[in-house]
Amino acid sequence: MTRWERSVPVYGVPVLNRGFWALLIAVVIAFVLSAFREVVGLGGSVSGMSDPFAWGLWKSFNVMVLTGLGSGGFAVGIAVWIFNRTRLHQVMRVALLTSFLAYSTGLIMLGIDVGRPWNFYWIVMPWHWNLRSPLLEVAVCITFYATVPLVLENLPPLFEYLIYEHPKWRGFAEACEKAMHKVYPFIIALAYILPLMHQSSLGALMLLAGDRVYPLWQTPFLPLIYVWAAAFLGYNCVVLCVLLAKITWKRDLDPEVLAELNKITVWLVFTWTAFRFLDILVRGKILLAFTPSFFSALFWTETILIAGSAYVLYSEKGKNLQTMFLAHAACALGGMIYRFSPPTLAFRPRNGAFYFPTAIETLVCFGFIALAVLGYIVAVKKLAILPGTNADWLKMAKYEEQVKPGIQLTGYAPVEH
Amino acid sequence: MAMTRREAFKNLAKGSLPLLAAGCVSTALPEVAHAEEVPLPKGALGLLYDATKCVGCKSCMVACNQANDLKPDTRTDGLHQAPPALNSFTKNIIKLYRTADGSDHSYFKQQCMHCADPSCMAACMFGGLRKDKQTGIVWWNGALCVGCRYCEIACPFHIPAFTWDGFNPRITKCELCRERLGKGLQPGCSTVCPTQAVIYGRREDLLKEAKRRIAMSPGRYFENRVYGETDGGGTQVLYLSRVAFDKLGLPVLGEETLPERLKFQHLAYKYMALPLALYAGMVAFAGKNFKEHTHHLVEDQKKTGLRPQI
Amino acid sequence: MEKDATEKGTIAQSLKNAGYSRRDFLQLCTTIVATAPMGLALTEKATPAEVAKSIAKAKKPSVVWLHFQDCTGCSETLLRTSKPDVADLILNIISLDYHETLMVACGEQAEAALKSAVSENAGKFVLVVEGAIPRKDQGVYMMLGGKPAVDVLKDIGSKAAAIIAMGSCASWGGVPSADPNPTDAVGVDSIITDKPIVNLPGCPPNPYNLLGVVLEFAVMGKLPACDDLKRPKFAYDRVIHDHCPRRAHFDAGRFAGQFGDPGHREGYCLFKLGCKGPVTHAGCSTRQFNEVVDCWPIGTGSPCFGCTEKAVGFRIPAFERVDVHLATPPDTYAPISGSVGTFGAAAAGLVGLAAGALGGAAWAASQKLTSSEEAVAGQDRKTTVGGK
Repeated sequence: MTRWERSVPVYGVPVLNRGFWALLIAVVIAFVLSAFREVVGLGGSVSGMSDPFAWGLWKSFNVMVLTGLGSGGFAVGIAVWIFNRTRLHQVMRVALLTSFLAYSTGLIMLGIDVGRPWNFYWIVMPWHWNLRSPLLEVAVCITFYATVPLVLENLPPLFEYLIYEHPKWRGFAEACEKAMHKVYPFIIALAYILPLMHQSSLGALMLLAGDRVYPLWQTPFLPLIYVWAAAFLGYNCVVLCVLLAKITWKRDLDPEVLAELNKITVWLVFTWTAFRFLDILVRGKILLAFTPSFFSALFWTETILIAGSAYVLYSEKGKNLQTMFLAHAACALGGMIYRFSPPTLAFRPRNGAFYFPTAIETLVCFGFIALAVLGYIVAVKKLAILPGTNADWLKMAKYEEQVKPGIQLTGYAPVEH
Repeated sequence: MAMTRREAFKNLAKGSLPLLAAGCVSTALPEVAHAEEVPLPKGALGLLYDATKCVGCKSCMVACNQANDLKPDTRTDGLHQAPPALNSFTKNIIKLYRTADGSDHSYFKQQCMHCADPSCMAACMFGGLRKDKQTGIVWWNGALCVGCRYCEIACPFHIPAFTWDGFNPRITKCELCRERLGKGLQPGCSTVCPTQAVIYGRREDLLKEAKRRIAMSPGRYFENRVYGETDGGGTQVLYLSRVAFDKLGLPVLGEETLPERLKFQHLAYKYMALPLALYAGMVAFAGKNFKEHTHHLVEDQKKTGLRPQI
Repeated sequence: MEKDATEKGTIAQSLKNAGYSRRDFLQLCTTIVATAPMGLALTEKATPAEVAKSIAKAKKPSVVWLHFQDCTGCSETLLRTSKPDVADLILNIISLDYHETLMVACGEQAEAALKSAVSENAGKFVLVVEGAIPRKDQGVYMMLGGKPAVDVLKDIGSKAAAIIAMGSCASWGGVPSADPNPTDAVGVDSIITDKPIVNLPGCPPNPYNLLGVVLEFAVMGKLPACDDLKRPKFAYDRVIHDHCPRRAHFDAGRFAGQFGDPGHREGYCLFKLGCKGPVTHAGCSTRQFNEVVDCWPIGTGSPCFGCTEKAVGFRIPAFERVDVHLATPPDTYAPISGSVGTFGAAAAGLVGLAAGALGGAAWAASQKLTSSEEAVAGQDRKTTVGGK
């Protein structure tokens, strides 16, 4: 039985392989098309957005959905640091990395989506903030979160990288580590309160749309349901990452940690589903779920994907890795569809308008996802992110010492902080 | 490992410092008044459109473009100003409602409603849409607009129009020709209307006039009421119609303004009390667990000689 | 037409002597009011009777009419009025002291007539110029009595009280100035810059435009309000398009596509045949010609060719379309709920492809996983970390 003890980089696999180049091409295409969009504007062939459907794939998917998927940083973080689930420490770095990549690519996407980005500097001038606007809360909070606490949380693997691979920087890196240790609780508490705020504000955004959002989704509790969905999406993402690490790079799995992650996911999903149904019942809209329509079909698709997968995870079948993988994938898919619905799929502007992304819009969206995946792949190969055992570390150390003579990866005596 | 009382208080104190600091800051920040606190200004201006008088001549569309120095939208055939809806060239449009068999019809003049508590204004991040304190006109300030289009999502009447082509997009909507008002002129539309179907004036006068018309001809107007008196919290542009309002595209709204739906949010963030309290609590717990965790890491390092990872 | 150089009394006297009835005169005044309901002080808020009164008291204005590079069409337009014989009437209201086409004298007699007409009324006569003035090669291309037209105009123009440039040729060069303008033909205001000039472009212009200007000058003592091209606003302030009887067809999108096609026969809008109505300032659409209804180009089914405008007439090809500068709505309406948005095939393909690829990859990936115990036990022995 493997027991994860520390994070170990993926070694022996070249960074610049076919996957890397394929992803890079997608990223370059996205950047070129984004430049085109900046010159030509948002209409016509660039995007399928129009006045009735003012928000499209970029805001609703890359920002709203993918930051939900990248909520592992705070969802797992709260379990680890607030509720003291110490075993989950091992997957913290994966969670933090996915969060960082999802948020940073989401922020860039937001910058490309807005029509007058040169006015964004008002974000640092509080006297012009409209405190009533949920979008302000989202913008300020996400920007601050993605640039300060999330970056700081993701720095330790970088410091280690400097210490091991670039001895010139060792002193600086060690000093940084020390400084960080002093204020770590303040940083991470910030890194949990901020996402709680903006993930719920992302939900609050659609409150202003009134009954343009179909009643099976529109509720005064939208913020709460959104942040709860972000939580279980974060867990889905982390589990999928470690399972994919096994598939792609043959990493070992720690059944205890997996079991705990699954348990938390199941608990989050069951409570979420229960609350959602209760909310629909109390608002008296339950009949809509049983009236055949596109919306009821969408609702049940979401619910079955999310709750059904959680049920599978809860049952004995959930111990089987293949089922576990598919269940988390399905749950993530359902959760993403849920967060995607209020601004797009379940959004009905009165003028009978229709929205479908254009080819350019889709390519840009994919390109930025590719950027995040690219960042992930490079990071896990260069830095110690993915969980492993001490034995794995020693094996890695042996390999690295052959390839980079002089590197010291073992034999450190503790220094009291 | 249980936390001692002393440690608990120490951690809580550490977490409370930022609470105090930010509490001071947040009370100092200008708070935009909430819905209940925003009555219509005394000098609120508006329009009264009586659909039963409109003959669909569309002079108001031509006049609007001329008064606002806006190129007419001729994209349909290059010859005529025929916008399909409000857009970046069209601040005011005449639409036709017709039943399928042609037995009933009505014209409908669509432009910004200049709501008492505008949803668009509540939505706009940096206050790019603001309501004039004297006239109540809701106008767009390009210097503060980021082009996020949240106002379009928020407006229940589908009014703000974004410039979808080109690299310097604007939000285009009726602003009651506010530049002309300073010169003592009326808005373009009401100036040219040949049947006085749309008239301009102070909202309270227009409301009185509308009610007078209803009283004079009971049964002539739908539900014997003025749309905009209380709909959506009240609007400065009022409508009278024979045909049902929702058939003309005016949404069915209660008396509550849309920004009211944000009241829970505003409560949760009032003075940032709740977030700061949560933060303080989290710092306390995280601090305690961090101490424990680093202790274990040091122990492990002693055993393995491998640098600890946070 | 004989002119009586000695009879310089009031217009009323002149008409009486010529044997015109009050009814005929009133009819003329009615026409003048109809021609210029606004923009002329003479007819502003006046009834025909009041107009008649003010005209009757006025003295007959002396008019000298010069022809340069012309076709005499502008004179003909004056003569082609007929109900009643208004040409005759007009010629009794003004004292036409020199007119090469209408006078009997010729040769030295004609030159002497011109000289005496100018000297007797120096500073008081109205100079009407018809035709363009060539400037190339010291103006040899148009000679009057051995002198170049440029010099004649400068000489006589300097002695006039006001100058009326009758027709497009005199206003801005007209036909002779068409590319490549081999004689450097220009309008009056390019030669004379220090006298009040009224341009009456048109090929030909409506004769009542001239009558309105002359009478305003004679009766009220001033020239009518003009635009920045010196055209009187009462006749030239609107484009044909804004007063065209066929405008409803334009607004409804009913156009003639070819000469003689069903649309053309129905009298539909001639815009697609190159009608210059949208860019041509003139009053033809309301006043027409020859006092006959629909006696004007568009009325006969021929698109307007913009004869009054320097940038349009004789410049833009007859059948080339122009832009409508002030677009107005057609007679159709936007629906309450329009349909917006398209379903791009490429995008749909991309999204479908991505969804399929992801789904397939997920399934394939999951196949590589087996039960947890097996995986853990197996990997420790078999594969190294990192091999792909």
